[in-house]
Amino acid sequence: MNDGSHAPSRQPATAALPAAAARIASFSFHGDAGQTLRNVQLSALPGTLTAVLGGSGSGKTTFGKLLAGWLRAGHSGVLRGSLALGADRVEFHGNSNDPRINPAAWSGRAGYVPQDAGAMLSSVRSTVAEELAFGLENRGVPRVEMIRQAARTAERTGLSGLMGRNPAQLSGGELRRLAVACAVIAEPGVLVLDEPLASLDAAGAAQLRNLVDGLLDAGTAVVLLSQRADALARSAGHWIVLDGGTVTAEGPPAEVEEGAAFSDAGIVAEGRGAASPGTRPAPAAPAAPVLELRGVGFGYGTTTRTTKRSAGTARPAPVLHNLNLTVRPGEIVAVTGPNGAGKSTLLRHLNGLLQPQTGEVLLAGKSIAGIPTGRVACTVGLLFQQPRDQLFERTVLREVGFGLRRLAGGETAAGRALEALAAVGLADAAQTHPAELPSSKQRLLALATVLARTPAVLALDEPTVGLDRYGIERLQHAVAAAAARGAGIVLVTHDLAYARATAHRVLALDGGSLREI
Amino acid sequence: MSLQSLLLPATGAGSAAGKTKAQRNRRLLELGGAAAIVATYLFLVLTQPADIASGPASFAALVALGGFLLGAVLLIAAALPTLPTPTLVLMPVALVLNVVLGQLMGATGLPFYVDAIGTVLIAVLAGPAAGAATGALSTIVWSFFNPTVLPFAAGAALIGFLAGLAARGGLFRRFYLAPVAGFVTGILAGVVSAPIAAFVFGGTAGLGTGAVVSAFRAMGDTLLAAITKQALISDPMDKAIVFAIAALLVYALPRRTTFQFAFVRTFRVLAGMSPATPESQPQTQPESQPESQPETQPEA
Amino acid sequence: MPSTLHPLTSLTAAGCTAVITTAAGLWPLSVAVALAAALLAVGAGVGRRVLAAAVAVLVPLGLSLLMLHGLFFPEGRTVLAAWGPARVTAEGLSFALEAGTRTGACVLVLLLFSFTVSAPDLVAALAARGLPPQVGFVLASALTLLPAMTGRLAAIRAAQEARGLVVGRGLLSRLAAVRLQAVPLVLGLVEDAGVRAQALEARSFGTPGPRTSYRQLQDSPGQRVFRAAAVLLTAAAVALRLITAWPVAP
Repeated sequence: MNDGSHAPSRQPATAALPAAAARIASFSFHGDAGQTLRNVQLSALPGTLTAVLGGSGSGKTTFGKLLAGWLRAGHSGVLRGSLALGADRVEFHGNSNDPRINPAAWSGRAGYVPQDAGAMLSSVRSTVAEELAFGLENRGVPRVEMIRQAARTAERTGLSGLMGRNPAQLSGGELRRLAVACAVIAEPGVLVLDEPLASLDAAGAAQLRNLVDGLLDAGTAVVLLSQRADALARSAGHWIVLDGGTVTAEGPPAEVEEGAAFSDAGIVAEGRGAASPGTRPAPAAPAAPVLELRGVGFGYGTTTRTTKRSAGTARPAPVLHNLNLTVRPGEIVAVTGPNGAGKSTLLRHLNGLLQPQTGEVLLAGKSIAGIPTGRVACTVGLLFQQPRDQLFERTVLREVGFGLRRLAGGETAAGRALEALAAVGLADAAQTHPAELPSSKQRLLALATVLARTPAVLALDEPTVGLDRYGIERLQHAVAAAAARGAGIVLVTHDLAYARATAHRVLALDGGSLREI
Repeated sequence: MSLQSLLLPATGAGSAAGKTKAQRNRRLLELGGAAAIVATYLFLVLTQPADIASGPASFAALVALGGFLLGAVLLIAAALPTLPTPTLVLMPVALVLNVVLGQLMGATGLPFYVDAIGTVLIAVLAGPAAGAATGALSTIVWSFFNPTVLPFAAGAALIGFLAGLAARGGLFRRFYLAPVAGFVTGILAGVVSAPIAAFVFGGTAGLGTGAVVSAFRAMGDTLLAAITKQALISDPMDKAIVFAIAALLVYALPRRTTFQFAFVRTFRVLAGMSPATPESQPQTQPESQPESQPETQPEA
Repeated sequence: MPSTLHPLTSLTAAGCTAVITTAAGLWPLSVAVALAAALLAVGAGVGRRVLAAAVAVLVPLGLSLLMLHGLFFPEGRTVLAAWGPARVTAEGLSFALEAGTRTGACVLVLLLFSFTVSAPDLVAALAARGLPPQVGFVLASALTLLPAMTGRLAAIRAAQEARGLVVGRGLLSRLAAVRLQAVPLVLGLVEDAGVRAQALEARSFGTPGPRTSYRQLQDSPGQRVFRAAAVLLTAAAVALRLITAWPVAP
């Protein structure tokens, strides 16, 4: 059965036969008390796009992985229900006699691309071409055939020019396309894409969009998992709204979007008027700036502080060049720019993680040169993109309370920790392990750890990425509250619409310096 | 036919015969590996007095290298096919943790070479076979940067194996028992590794350990005896620390993560980590009923 | 700089040289082999890296051996100097010299191999010779993960500093910092490994049966003959040493 002859004879394509169908009565992980999924059904016809929408922790990823055989009944948890690929249906009753899915064969017909595209890669192949061929190698596909298929898939996914590159050195968009290519090289009838556009800039998103259109034209059924109702989701023919592990609405997008279930699910509705821009009055101008950057210049490979490896060729152009920025108390400044423009580099200068090579950074009029980051952090709270790097405690409450006692004294510390948790809506999760929170709440927790210290400057790196609508609302409130108490706020984002809706001033990072837009 | 190809063969009676045969082969490899290590050890201990006085132990070095490496390779060959992909993927992670956490601990200035934290962590999560294979394989990978560790592969495998046994025996359920298990593991691992240091390298890799060996030599011990005694002084302490750190880390991980591992679920490796299922059963012997969900028993 | 030889040729050459040097047990030969390896490393453009790695290993070992056997060698007869319990003997010094140079030669030869071989080529070559794919995976994956870890640890440290973490000078404070940095590192790696395992299974990694390889390696009849000859020579050297030095019961 595993002897390589598993390529199933394709059923004669009848118009009504879905490429994939799932009817999940219940699914729970081993070791979890509750059910992660209840009563979820999906049927995806060839060549159609189906969007499964839901907030953070709604069970989208679990559902997608079950459909594609990444999570398996018995192996990963207890499943009751049925899964079908084409005419082949498998029933599960949640006992030990259940059939066991062969993940290799199953994924040949149902592909899945995880949100973290890097996790799709084998980590043992040194070129894009070999990474693409990894699955074929394991199936014993003859080399000539393998080269042909790899080249064909590379062409479909726009990777032809990158075949000799090391996968570890691809950009975010290229990496995402490689992950998709690794799934589609087996020609699956259905492809599940988990948040395929997350943290891609406009150019990267457009290329991925083309790729999806090509797959649909070729007759692949595409299932999109997303917490944003973006342009890609809006092009779907059918929406399924997941909330708390179960379907609360489904149907054509226009219909679903009008319903209450859609707005309750915490889905971010792009293109709908969110906060109104410009309504926030700019703070009174005369106040002395809390943060000032004067003529800051910085380039990688020319500093003693950074450990980033230079490409080894010619010295790269400086990332920041003669950059000036003034933030006054209560002011919200947004910095935008495409991926790789140096936005994160700029942010790391605000608390001394990177030291400018020219110019200086002033906090409340005093230079921070030479002060360790851990001390600057009392004044500048910096929130990174990857929340799990920042979290290390056993419970949410301990996480927020960490280091507060030294800063504020016992009684105040406990109060402030709870206050910060309440501000981001995590008061009832105080005893949870941080890593068991859904990703949106992990980011909010990281935000709470910064808020609890009531910093004079709040610096946020791509704060909206990975947040669902509830998360974004909490973020908006927290940012507004911090501004109201007089903190200066710098947020860096590639999402221009969000920047305009939130900030008093929007600046573009371009050629190493900032300009108003 | 196409439906069948999507599924794995049922674990029915049909495959039982083939399975027991494969199992017997594995058992033979395991026994062969253990026998190679024990025989090499005994041979070296029994013949070494004649060798050391007559110059450098070229002969003993060859025997030690050959015997221990053969044992390590046989153990890897026995363990690897049994390991599921999730465990396999953790093995490079263990190696990385051995190196990185070893360096982090090195920065604290404590006089110990804690280089097995990753191995012990994997053994606690995935069992003795995984621990043994991790120990041996990570030694092989690390020898790309420091070839002198290669001959110690068998000792590293032993540490991983014993850590897995300790986890299965429930020694990680109480925090104070973990260092005790580490202490005992250190004794065995130290004794087994001593002939390598004595016959392949003629001494120990560090100045501090070298000084201890010198002291025993000054008292007239043979080289092997001196190195064995030195190992008995430093290794048990070192492994006790390693086991304690591994226990600390494993309890810092969320339950959802540790519960992914069937070994942790089946043998109730960790305390207070049982699933809060409503149909909580009375405590059962885990080995006899691997499917049973052990009842919640918070640590006193 | 990756070597142009077939990886098995350089592996065989390095392994056989190390074993033959060990079997011979002659310090002039060991010194010659060590020098040759060092020169080859410089010629291949990895001299600095090989020597740095070798020095890190060999200097403590060498000093340890010198102190141990140079001062305390109860079996020694020819006493050159003595201070209390410490006796410098000719036998002890020659033992330290033999053991030190032998290890030095082996370390340099093996480092020359590992710093010049292309890991993907080596894994592909071993897989083609029937090495289980699991071994190749662990080898290659560890070699990719290791350099990436520096960056990951730096990211964790930066994120924690940005939260106001200041590492103090005391032992306890530094131990606490180890815990704080280790938890996100372990958690992140274990979680990544979980997803990667699912991805690998979906890409047929666990499937038994024949495999093919995209990467093709250049081999030549000359290299094959060389490998066979090297293995035979090594076997002969080992056999000779075992026969001449087999311990006779008293």
